[in-house]
Amino acid sequence: MLKMEGLTKIYRTGLVETRALRDFTMEVEQGEFVTITGPSGSGKTTFLNVAGLLDAFEQGRYFLDGLDVSRLTDSQMSRIRNEKIGFIFQSFNLIPDLDVFDNIDVPLRYRKVSAAERKERIERAAAQVGLSSRLRHLPSQLSGGQQQRVSIARVLAGDPKLILADEPTGNLDSTMAREIMDILEDINARGTTLIMVTHNPEHAARAHRQLHIADGRMVDLERISPFPLNRAAQAMSVAN
Amino acid sequence: MPFGPIFRAMTRNRSRFLLIVAEVALTLAIVANCVSLIRESQASLKVESGFDDENLLWVGSRPFAEAFREDAYLHHAIDSDLVTLRTLPGVRAASNTSFIPWIGGGSSTEVRLGGNRYRTQIYGVDPAVFDTLGVTVIQGRNFTPAELEAGTGSDPDKVISPVVISEALAKLLYPNGGALGKIIQDPSGTDSFDVIGVFDRFYNPYGWPIGEYAVFLPRRSGGFSNFGFLVRTQPGQKDALMPEIEKALLASNDGRNVRVRAIQDIRREYDSRDRAVVMALNAVMILLVFVTALGIVGITSFSVAERQKQIGTRRALGATQGDILRHFLLENWMVTSIGAVLGTGLAYAINVGLVTLVQQAKLEAWVLAAGVGLLWVVGLGAALGPALRAARVAPAIATRSV
Amino acid sequence: MFAYNLRLAWKSLLRNPVLSTLIVGGIALGVAISTAFITVYHVFSRDPIPGKSDVLFYVQMDNWDPTAPPHPHESGIPPQISYRDMRELMRSKIPVRQSPNFLASLYVFPRDAKARPSQEPIRMVFSDFFPMFDVPFRYGAGWGRAADAGPEPVVVISSELNERLFGGRDSVGETIRIDRREFRVTGVMAPWRPSIRIYDMNGDVFGEPESVFMPFNWIEPMEIRTAGNRDNWQSFDGDPTYLEILRRSEGCFLQMWVELPDEASRQAYARFLDAYTTEQRKEGRFQRPLDNRITSVRNLIQDWEVVPPQSKAIAAISILFLIVAALNLVGLFLGKFLARAPQVGVRRALGATRGSIFLQHLIECELVGLIGGAIGLLLSFGVLAFFNTVFRRMSQSEDFFHLDLTMVLAAVFLSLVAGAIAGIYPAWRICSVPPARYLRNQ
Repeated sequence: MLKMEGLTKIYRTGLVETRALRDFTMEVEQGEFVTITGPSGSGKTTFLNVAGLLDAFEQGRYFLDGLDVSRLTDSQMSRIRNEKIGFIFQSFNLIPDLDVFDNIDVPLRYRKVSAAERKERIERAAAQVGLSSRLRHLPSQLSGGQQQRVSIARVLAGDPKLILADEPTGNLDSTMAREIMDILEDINARGTTLIMVTHNPEHAARAHRQLHIADGRMVDLERISPFPLNRAAQAMSVAN
Repeated sequence: MPFGPIFRAMTRNRSRFLLIVAEVALTLAIVANCVSLIRESQASLKVESGFDDENLLWVGSRPFAEAFREDAYLHHAIDSDLVTLRTLPGVRAASNTSFIPWIGGGSSTEVRLGGNRYRTQIYGVDPAVFDTLGVTVIQGRNFTPAELEAGTGSDPDKVISPVVISEALAKLLYPNGGALGKIIQDPSGTDSFDVIGVFDRFYNPYGWPIGEYAVFLPRRSGGFSNFGFLVRTQPGQKDALMPEIEKALLASNDGRNVRVRAIQDIRREYDSRDRAVVMALNAVMILLVFVTALGIVGITSFSVAERQKQIGTRRALGATQGDILRHFLLENWMVTSIGAVLGTGLAYAINVGLVTLVQQAKLEAWVLAAGVGLLWVVGLGAALGPALRAARVAPAIATRSV
Repeated sequence: MFAYNLRLAWKSLLRNPVLSTLIVGGIALGVAISTAFITVYHVFSRDPIPGKSDVLFYVQMDNWDPTAPPHPHESGIPPQISYRDMRELMRSKIPVRQSPNFLASLYVFPRDAKARPSQEPIRMVFSDFFPMFDVPFRYGAGWGRAADAGPEPVVVISSELNERLFGGRDSVGETIRIDRREFRVTGVMAPWRPSIRIYDMNGDVFGEPESVFMPFNWIEPMEIRTAGNRDNWQSFDGDPTYLEILRRSEGCFLQMWVELPDEASRQAYARFLDAYTTEQRKEGRFQRPLDNRITSVRNLIQDWEVVPPQSKAIAAISILFLIVAALNLVGLFLGKFLARAPQVGVRRALGATRGSIFLQHLIECELVGLIGGAIGLLLSFGVLAFFNTVFRRMSQSEDFFHLDLTMVLAAVFLSLVAGAIAGIYPAWRICSVPPARYLRNQ
C-alpha cells in the first residue's frame, strides 16, 4: 500500500537546516493498522505530511498504492489526496461556517460525483458514525467527540484506501477517545489501511504493528524489544 | 460549482461579507447616479451649432473716438474693416453682424402668422454671413448689396424687409413647406418680413427654447458703443491670425479697442458649468471605484488570512489550487452580486432625491446594468490577488496544531 | 493614558508603512473630495448678505404682452421692471431704502493721454444702494441722497479701478472722465467679493461687482443703454428718440430692490404695488392677471435656482464617497488589528480592560483619520484651485472657491467621522478577543 525508501525531508528556517526525516524507510501493507509514536519534534507530523502528499521531500522514493508519487504536480497530488487518502486531524479541522452535511460533502465536491450520489454517500457515512440526526448542526454545536465523528464521516464518504490519522484522540477525553478508536478499528477491519500517529500507548497498542520515530528515523520497536510489546501493552491496559 | 455551501457559509459569517456588500451597494448607487448626472450635463455639451466653429473668430470693436457717433463714419469704418479683414492672408470670409455664436443669448422677437405668435432669434447680417458661418442658403437667395444698403438706413416708412430664415423656423411656421415668398409680421403688425431665402443650419443657445430659430435681416450691425465681425479662417490659421487681426484693425483705425476671441473659447466658457460638473463627477466616480477596489482587496486579504487553516484543510481533502482560486472568486462574485442587488434599490432611492434637484438626471436601467457589470469586473480583479494568495496556501497548514 | 494610547497608535502606524499609507491615503482622498465639493456647495449656498437676506426684497410685476403666453422666465412673469414703472415705484415712502439698478458699459478715460481708454462695466444705482447691500469702502463713501436727483457728477469706483487710475491712493475728490463727462470720486470701495452678486441675479450671478457705480439718473442726460437683458414686446410707430422710448416703453431691464424691515411694511408695500397696478389697468396697462411679487434675497436665490442644483447633488455624493472610503478601511483595520491579537491577548492577561483595548484601537483609527484628514485638506486646496481655473468665467476670480474656517472645521469633523466609521467595528472585534485564546502556542 505504502512504501518509502530513503526519504529525506529538510526544513529551512533562515540559515538553520532541520532534517525532519533522515533516510526514512518503511512499508505498510494493504489493510494494515499501523501506529506511529515518538517524542515531539521527532518527525511524526513531517512523516504524516509527506505520507499524505501535503508536503514535498528532498530525496528518496515514495510509492503509494503501487504508484510512484515522488514527482507529481500539485494538481495530481490533490487528486490522489482526494481519492485515495482520508485525513483525520487532532483538532478535527471542520469548516466552522459549514454544517455537518456540508462538511462531509467537502471532499466529494472536489471530484465528479452526482448530487444524488453525494447525498446518499453523506447520509450513509453520517449513519455509520451515528450522526444522522445532526446533519444540519454546525460544528460549534457539537461536542469534541461528535466533531471527530464528523471528520471520520468525511473520510468515509470519500471512501479512501488509506486513512492518515494525526492524534485523532488528542483533544478528547478517554471515553470519547475510546469511542473514536472503536470506530477507526471497525473501519480498518473492513479493509482500509490505517496509519495513526499517537502519544497514547493504550491506543497505539491496538494496532497490528507499532512503529517508533526518533530523530527523523524509523525505530522498529518490535524488532529491538525482547517482548512482543503488543501483548505487554495489552496486559498493561488490562491491569489498569 | 458549490454555490449552495458557499452561500450557506456566508450567511453564517456575515460580518466579513456585509462590508463588501455595503461598499458595492453604495458604490453602485453613487456611480449610477453620477452617470445620470453626467448624461444630463453632457447632453448640452454634445449639441452642434452647425457652423464652422473650429475656424471662427469673433472680432469685437469698441470705439471711443467721438467720430464714431456719426452713422456715416461708423458705416465707412465697418466697410473698411471688412476690406482689411478679407485681405489678411488666412482669412476665408468675414461678415459684419450682431450674431455671436455660443455667447448664450442674443436678440429675439416674435413673429405673427395667422392667429399664432412665434418667438425667434433675430440678427442683422450682411450677405457674407452664410459663407462665414459655413451654412448654405438652400431655398431662395442671399441678400444683395443693395438690400444691405437699404436695410442699413433708418426708414421711417417701414417698408417690407427681405429676410433669410433658418430651415427650422421655416418648418415651424410652414410645416407643409412653401415658406419662400411669404410675408410674416412682428406682433404689432408694423414691421413685415418677406422671406427671400432659407438657410440650412442654425443653433445658438438662448434662455428660451428657440435655439434653432433665426431671422437674418440685411443691415450693418453696431453703433457707437460697439460693432463686430465674424471671421472664418482657413483651417489651422486661427491662432496665428488672432493677434494679426487686432494689429491690422488698430492700424487702420486707432479710435477704438479691439478684442479677438475664438468661438470655441466662447463656447468653452458657455459650457464651463456643465464641463465642470462632468469633470467633477468623472473624478469622483473613478476615485470611488478605485477606493472600493482597494477595500475589496483589503477585506478579501483579511478573510483569506483568517481562513488559512480552512484552506489548508480543503487542500488536504483534495482541493486543487484552481479549486481554491475558484472558491474565492466565486465567493467574491456572489458577494458583489448581493451588493449589486441592494445597490440597485439604493440607486433608485437616491435617484428619487436627485431628480428633485436635477430633473433630467433620471436613472436608466442600462446605466445600472453597466454599473453592475463594471463592479463584477472590478470585484473579481480586486479579489484576484488575495485569491491567488489563498491558492498558494500550503496544504501542510492543515496538520499544524494552531 | 491618552498620550500613552497616542504613542502606541503612532508606533503601530510606523510598523506597517505600506498598509498605513494605504489607509491614510484612502481617508485623505475621501476627505479631500468631500471637503472640496462641500466647499463648492457652501460657497454657492451660504447667505450672501447675512442679516439682510430677509429684509431686502426684489420687485416684479407682470406687464407682459396680454395676448402672449406667460413670460418664459422661471417665475412666469418678466424678471425685471420697466423704466416708467420704476419712476412711479420710487415715489413710495414705505421702503426705508430703495434702488433700481442696471448694468451699463461706458468708456473711462485715464488722465494720462497716452494710456488707452478702457470700456468699464458700470452699475447705475441710487445712493441707497450702498447701505442696502453693505458695500464696503476703503476711502470716502457713497454719494448722498441729494446727489441722486440732479443728478450730480459723482461716482464710486472699485479698489481695482482705483489701483489702475490712481495707483491705489486715496482718490476721493479727484475726477475721472467717463464717456464725455467729468465725474468726482466720492468713494473707493474696499475689495468686495460677495459670493453671489445678489443685486443682479439676471446677469452673471457669480461675476465680480462693477468697477464704477454711477447715479442712476444719468440714464437720461447721457442716454445710457443697458448692457444686460432687456425684455420687450412692444414696438413704436414712427422714429421715436431714445428718451421717448425709455419713458413710454414696457421694455423691462431694471432690477428693483426695496428694503422692508418688518411684516407691516411688507404688507403695506404689497398693497401699494397692487394699488399702483390696479390704477394702471384703468389706463389699459397690466392687462394680464394681477401678479405683483416682492421676494426676499433668500427666496429669490431658491426660486431662480441661482445655485447650480448639481452642486448640492455633488456635495451629497461626495459625502457618500467619504463613507465608502471609510467603509473600505474597515477591512484594512480588521486585518491590521487581528494580526495583533496575540499581543492584545498578552495585554489583556496583564490586566488591560476591554474598554482600554477598545479605546487604544479607536484612538489609532482616529489618529489615522486626522492624519488622512490633514493630507486631504491639503489636497482639497489643489482640487479647489483646479475648480477655480475651470470656473474662471463664472467666477472671474482666482479664489472664488476657498476654504474658510467653517470648511476647515468641517474637514476635521469629516476625518473624525471617517476614522470612527472605519475604526469602531475593528476596535470592537479586537477588544472582544478572549485573553486566553492567544496565549497558547506562542
